[in-house]
Amino acid sequence: MAIVLNTLLIIITALAIPGVINRTRAVLAGRQGMPFTQHLRNVNLLLRKSTVYSTTTTALFRIAPAIYLGAAIVAMLFIPVADLYPLISFEGDVICFAYTLALARIIIIFAAMDTGSSFEGMGAAREALYGALIEPALMIGFATLALFCGYTSFAEIFEHRQSFNLHLTIVMLLTAFLFLKITFVESGRVPVDDPRTHLELTMIHEVMCLDYCGIDMALIHIASWIKCACFSMIAANAIAATCCFNWWFATPLAILLTGLSVGIVESTQGRNKLVRNTTFIVTISALAALIFFIGYLLKLDINI
Amino acid sequence: MFYLYLLPTLTLLIVALFLSPLRSKVWVALATAVTLALAAIVPAIGVLTSGKSLVLMEFMSPIFGQESLSIDPLSAIFLLIIGVAGVATVLYSKGYLEQYLKKKSSAHISLHYTSLVVLILSMMLVVISSGGFSFLFAWELMTIASFLLILFDAERAEVLRAAVAYLIMMHIGFIFLVAGFATIYANTSTGAFSDLAICFSNGKTIPIFILFLLGFGMKAGLFPMHVWLPEAHPAAPSHVSAIMSGVMIKTGVYGIMRVMWYIADSTELHTIGLIILSVGIITGLWGVILAAVQNDAKRLLAYSSIENVGVIFIGLGIATLGQASGNHLVATIALCGALLHTVNHSLFKSLLFFGAGNIYSQMHTTLLDKFGGVAKHMPVTAILFFIATLAICALPPLNGFVGEFLIYLGMLDSVRDNVNTIYAASGLLALALIGGIAVLAFSKLYSTIFLGSPRDHHVAESQEVDNIRIAAMAIPATGIILIGLFPQFAIRIVEGVAQQFTPYTEPVVSQYLTPTLTKLSLTAWLLIIIIALIYIIKSRAQRSRTIAQGPTWGCGFTSPNIRMQYTGESFAEGLESIATSFTQNTIEGRTVGKSEIFPSTHNYNIRHKDKIDRLFAEWWVELLHIINKRVMSLRTGKINIYIAYALIFLVVIFVVSLFNLI
Repeated sequence: MAIVLNTLLIIITALAIPGVINRTRAVLAGRQGMPFTQHLRNVNLLLRKSTVYSTTTTALFRIAPAIYLGAAIVAMLFIPVADLYPLISFEGDVICFAYTLALARIIIIFAAMDTGSSFEGMGAAREALYGALIEPALMIGFATLALFCGYTSFAEIFEHRQSFNLHLTIVMLLTAFLFLKITFVESGRVPVDDPRTHLELTMIHEVMCLDYCGIDMALIHIASWIKCACFSMIAANAIAATCCFNWWFATPLAILLTGLSVGIVESTQGRNKLVRNTTFIVTISALAALIFFIGYLLKLDINI
Repeated sequence: MFYLYLLPTLTLLIVALFLSPLRSKVWVALATAVTLALAAIVPAIGVLTSGKSLVLMEFMSPIFGQESLSIDPLSAIFLLIIGVAGVATVLYSKGYLEQYLKKKSSAHISLHYTSLVVLILSMMLVVISSGGFSFLFAWELMTIASFLLILFDAERAEVLRAAVAYLIMMHIGFIFLVAGFATIYANTSTGAFSDLAICFSNGKTIPIFILFLLGFGMKAGLFPMHVWLPEAHPAAPSHVSAIMSGVMIKTGVYGIMRVMWYIADSTELHTIGLIILSVGIITGLWGVILAAVQNDAKRLLAYSSIENVGVIFIGLGIATLGQASGNHLVATIALCGALLHTVNHSLFKSLLFFGAGNIYSQMHTTLLDKFGGVAKHMPVTAILFFIATLAICALPPLNGFVGEFLIYLGMLDSVRDNVNTIYAASGLLALALIGGIAVLAFSKLYSTIFLGSPRDHHVAESQEVDNIRIAAMAIPATGIILIGLFPQFAIRIVEGVAQQFTPYTEPVVSQYLTPTLTKLSLTAWLLIIIIALIYIIKSRAQRSRTIAQGPTWGCGFTSPNIRMQYTGESFAEGLESIATSFTQNTIEGRTVGKSEIFPSTHNYNIRHKDKIDRLFAEWWVELLHIINKRVMSLRTGKINIYIAYALIFLVVIFVVSLFNLI
């Protein structure tokens, strides 16, 4: 029962975040904006459309969206919502989570390169580089959680409501901040990537799917929402662990945390110049190492 | 005794290979390889299941006293790898050498097959020898056989250069090994590995270990001794690269594991763990970054072998640190991971080199930017290469992931238990970065070769290779998939070895690893099922709709052409811009300037060289050249002068002994 509820809640989170982002942006810009469920209607429309495939592509191009979505779904099944229990859980599943998402990434890179388009190659090359540089941040983030909670699987890390502890609170809030940053990079949001840009030369994630349409495009959209929801749920869990560790708190927190922060950042600042992106992402990895070190010092009970 | 058996067998083999007709030489070689593999694998499986060592033969060696050939679990694992890869390699060589049968002389082909079989045999001897003379003998045999194999295309100048460089570097390594065994002999008057325990208990552990690390590290390709690898592999024929990269460099790993076994003192073990871990991190990072910027397929694969040896050493280092700190859980998991990664790498790296051989035999180049869209012409190669690519990037559900998962798990557990936390975390950081850049390197490799539009007209003329080569490639591919889908059984292979190292392996494996890996296996199946379901639903939904075909969307640009496609060079450009300190670029020609409105024809050629290569072009190399010239002037070729040298030598000895100086 808890498992079903858990999975449902993550799906709800995944579906709600893009809506919140759109509404936040509209409100901040003083526009009426699109309705909350516009992204769902768009995908619904895509699901009913017919498809065009490029003659350059191979069978890989047609299978890729299925692998992309499949990998995202499996990754989602590792994530608990606060004290609920996910479907799959074993020692070290944090690694499995990261590498399942890496599978999603490489397959969409292949699909982009399969079209032989220079624009899509551009996106693929950037995605590959940024993916490589964000990986250490992710792993060190997990290591921080493992060090502090004493477990190596998501379910166990977030299983117990721990009594209030200043050290834990500090580390958990920092980790939450780290995962929020990672969410920005992994789901291709400002300041790393701008999904609304109209210029292919500056796109990353969007330009990789230029040749997809119809049902394939819908699958890719859904997979991206799920990926985004996974990361924001980890961040929300980390925050919830410090105050109110319940699913009815963590779910809205995940939706609002990512939705509002992405919405606000996208309304108030522009994207990085592309050359600055590597610095930005390496900084996140450095931040992760720093947070780990802080966690290590606090674990040693050094007075600071 | 042992040499009495060995020499007639070798002679018989050489005679058989040289006398048999040109086309059936491969079958003689294959029959020998299969016999060797069966003779090795059957007892190896016996040893792995029973966990007891098997002594095959005991004999006196000329120098080091009593020696033996025996199979213990560690040898058994390497015997398995050598047997499987050996058979696949010889089978593959049939199709690959077909095109050379007319060009090369019969003796040349015979020599090649003889060396191939001798290489397999000598690698087997290396892993079953107890040390001392027979070990050094087999080691040297292995070096010479592989040297002859690299020399296959000796007409090409760069092949000769690479082969000679290889020979020289291997002999530098050999000197360290001889010194190592001489040290054992000086302490215990035998040359066996097992007597290392006595040497180590006398103190001086670290210097002796470093001696062996240098000797074996040369073979394994540890930084900075890796420079021979990226030269030798592109020069050698593909099946030779496959067995050298997949198996032969692992004998270096084997040697270091063998030496580590006997270190008992935990403070020294800790230092050695640190040494191994840092060497692993540096080797891995160096290898993967250089791999990502290469624009030659085989050179890229060679660098990736260096990276994978680095990954194995990270695992070994974590295991040693865990063992030294008494954390048996970490020690067992990381050691199992390192061993499994050794097995895995031999599978996917041979498959990748076979794949590179397929495209080379069709298009006669391995330069990445000459390919594109090969998947349409060689679909089976493309699929097999795809499997190996995913496996080497350590992606689920294939075998590469299982090995790296265990290494990661060892490090995470070390962090969780707050033992060696900072070391484990730096290993974690490095491995994550290595994994990420490996994805970049291999997505570049696969997509520039197999995907997109052809960049060269040769691609259109290529066609799928013969079925025997495909069959040879299917052998490692099966292993990749099986280990990936059933990791809980694969762990049994390496369990026996870990048992030798840490006594608590059995409970750790049965209570901790087996349940975890069973769930990992279920996850892999779940992943496959979900993907299949989504694909089936998608295809069904598309059945009722129109599916049109059209050109790739050019973003409003009306005349895109193939030359605008992303190349391997442009794909890795982002990484190159931040990894400038690792490479040294040589550029020929120039790019199109910004002010050229109607650009003329330009040639632009960039090569990314290893910065370490520069060590071999420094002043001290020049100095050696000068000294060499001086010494060479002593060699006059006149017999009377040589007699004078002998006379001078005698006089010097006489004078020196007169004053009791020696």
